Amino acid sequence: MNVILLIARNTFREIIRDRILYGLIVFALGLVGVSLVLGQLTFSEQARISANFGFTGAHISAVFLAIFVGSTLVSKEIDKKTILTILVRPLTRVQFLIGKSLGLAAVITVVITGLAGVMLLIFNGLGLEVTYLFLVGLYGIFLESFLLLGLSLFFSSFSRPIMVVCFTGGVFLIGHWLGDLKFFASKSESEFFMGFANIINIIFPNLEKFNWRSLFLYNDDIFITEILSASIYSLAWFSFLVTLTALVLRRKDFG
Amino acid sequence: MSIIQVQNLVKSYKKGFIPKKQTVLKGVSFTLQPSTITGFLGGNGAGKTTTMKCILGLAFPDSGQINYFNGQSLTSETKSRIGFLPERPYFYDYLTGEEFLKFYGDISGKFKKRLDLKQRIDFLLKKVDLYDSKNKTLREYSKGMLQKIGIAQALVHRPEFIVLDEPMAGLDPDGRYYLSELINETAREGTAIFFSSHLLYDTEKLCENLVILKDGVVIFEGKTEQLISKMNSQLKITYQKAGAKNIEMVKAGAELTIKLSALLKEKFEILSVEPELISLEQAFISMAMKGAKS
Repeated sequence: MNVILLIARNTFREIIRDRILYGLIVFALGLVGVSLVLGQLTFSEQARISANFGFTGAHISAVFLAIFVGSTLVSKEIDKKTILTILVRPLTRVQFLIGKSLGLAAVITVVITGLAGVMLLIFNGLGLEVTYLFLVGLYGIFLESFLLLGLSLFFSSFSRPIMVVCFTGGVFLIGHWLGDLKFFASKSESEFFMGFANIINIIFPNLEKFNWRSLFLYNDDIFITEILSASIYSLAWFSFLVTLTALVLRRKDFG
Repeated sequence: MSIIQVQNLVKSYKKGFIPKKQTVLKGVSFTLQPSTITGFLGGNGAGKTTTMKCILGLAFPDSGQINYFNGQSLTSETKSRIGFLPERPYFYDYLTGEEFLKFYGDISGKFKKRLDLKQRIDFLLKKVDLYDSKNKTLREYSKGMLQKIGIAQALVHRPEFIVLDEPMAGLDPDGRYYLSELINETAREGTAIFFSSHLLYDTEKLCENLVILKDGVVIFEGKTEQLISKMNSQLKITYQKAGAKNIEMVKAGAELTIKLSALLKEKFEILSVEPELISLEQAFISMAMKGAKS
């Protein structure tokens, strides 16, 4: 088997055997359960509330995994010195980095898929018609968490996990506010503010590009080109960030 | 034919809030031959681990050169011929002993057939006396068991050269005996072993060659017996005056003659002059204190 896939499989196994993952899954399932209770308090909104809570649970789980687990993905290997016995084997540091990322991306996919399965059961019970927009919403969550994973990896190449969480969490918030910032900048008469907003728009990823969670709820359609361009956008950011991380790690001394 | 040739290795680190350069290796050079067991000795902070990390590509030297397997550079191909056990090994504790060895065996790329790897893993697990614990996760292993499984991962892909950083640490006498046997057996099969240790008794028994490092400089490279016999060339003079007994070490020959003349001139009573038979430990301490280049 390819060394990247071996590292990915091992990382997948590591996270799957970690208790934190199960805490997260219980939390997400709890959120779905709460939606069922809340739905009883409303009139004819049960399905909408369940869908909303289900997507939120999947979104929080995926983002949490990308930021929190991503922040220690490489640093834990350095701190525990497990990286020493790996890097002396016939693989490059870039292969190691990509393998670790793919392992976590696989876990995120499994968690999203599992939660999607639970949501489908609930929708079925509620008699809600499931369209392809349901998958589009989940795919958007995956693309966003993939990009956030790239950010976590990059920040973890030069800072401690707590700082990685702060930095990535900060970018996560900014990334969701970029649309608002652009809107306010367009209404502003200050050239400085407009310039500032433009720079922020360039240097931070726009995470609202992946927010397709409401499409399913309102049965809004989406162009395939939009999905494709968002996929390329996420992959491009991830590749850029992994390249930067690889450059930092390339000449790093371990031990 | 050399397995490893280290030439004039210099390595410094920058430490502190205002980075201050600290040179750890100051021109380290030595050569390792195939099928030999070489002990790598030196006090704490002498630069042993840094040298090993430079050899393994985990740290990058400021200058100098390392040639592998008769003049090759460190590539994936050369890496697949090297094994390594770090000091105080930390491993993937969520894996079972068997999964752990399988992972390292797979990643080495040496096993084309699944059965070959399975047989190799079973052989090594029996060899390090962990076969009955192969299905336990590593977090259930004791320190000694971790050291043993670490040795097994270093050997799993049948490397031609193994670097062991403090392999005896944490092992009980039984464990040290079995590890010594394993090291000897591996060397007999043609593998060159390079290991650091603070346990000089074991080193003396195991190693035919030694490289001794002090303050980032090689102060001895050669045969173990050569070092001991060199140190054994000293003579112990016991003398007294007014009931106060003194002991002094001198080299045979002119130094002995001069010392004895001086003592007799000062009316000291010479009680004995005898050759000093010393162990590697004493030889090492004596050499480390003097810092004499062989």
